[in-house]
Amino acid sequence: MDGIELISFKIISAVGEARSNYIEAIREAKKGNFEKADDLIEEGSKIFIEGHHAHSELIQQEASGTPVVPTLMLMHAEDQLMSADAFKIIAQEFIDVYKNTHSK
Amino acid sequence: MRKIVLLCNAGMSTSALVTKMRKEAEKINYECEINAYAAAEASNVAKGADIVFLGPQVKYMLSEVKEKVNPIPVEVIDMMVYGMMDGGKVITRAKEVLGDK
Repeated sequence: MDGIELISFKIISAVGEARSNYIEAIREAKKGNFEKADDLIEEGSKIFIEGHHAHSELIQQEASGTPVVPTLMLMHAEDQLMSADAFKIIAQEFIDVYKNTHSK
Repeated sequence: MRKIVLLCNAGMSTSALVTKMRKEAEKINYECEINAYAAAEASNVAKGADIVFLGPQVKYMLSEVKEKVNPIPVEVIDMMVYGMMDGGKVITRAKEVLGDK
């Protein structure tokens, strides 16, 4: 398998699973399971880092003078990475809101 | 002839995995039809399927998809397997769940 394709997949699977965790975290907070929600955010963040490392490999490759040839799959990976990153912030805000309404 | 359905956000990354799975299935002469779709289409595309696989990025939809396609078995593809595009492992898992040799 081509190197870029494999790295793209590593990114998609890691940040994709992280994003999935963030969404599950919001759902748990909605049910009042705040401990579970916090665990899901933490677990997601750990998985996200794996995707971030794979992404760094590409940035380093390009920085060292070997250009990365973009593919649609790589763009999809970048898209997933951004989406997951933003979802974490949204999930954390949602959890805070649910915690606030829960304690009232 | 088994029918295997893969679901992810847009059916994009799973399409690449489908290609790998078809090759692996051919190698071991496992007769199956494998296709990838967006998870939002679950109820329509899973009709007549023997098993449905979800990409790790739509793991959060597991209970929803299970409800929609009931009684078809639904499995989440392991993140490592997905990240390595290991089509062979997904085929092996499908055979295990379906009890095929």
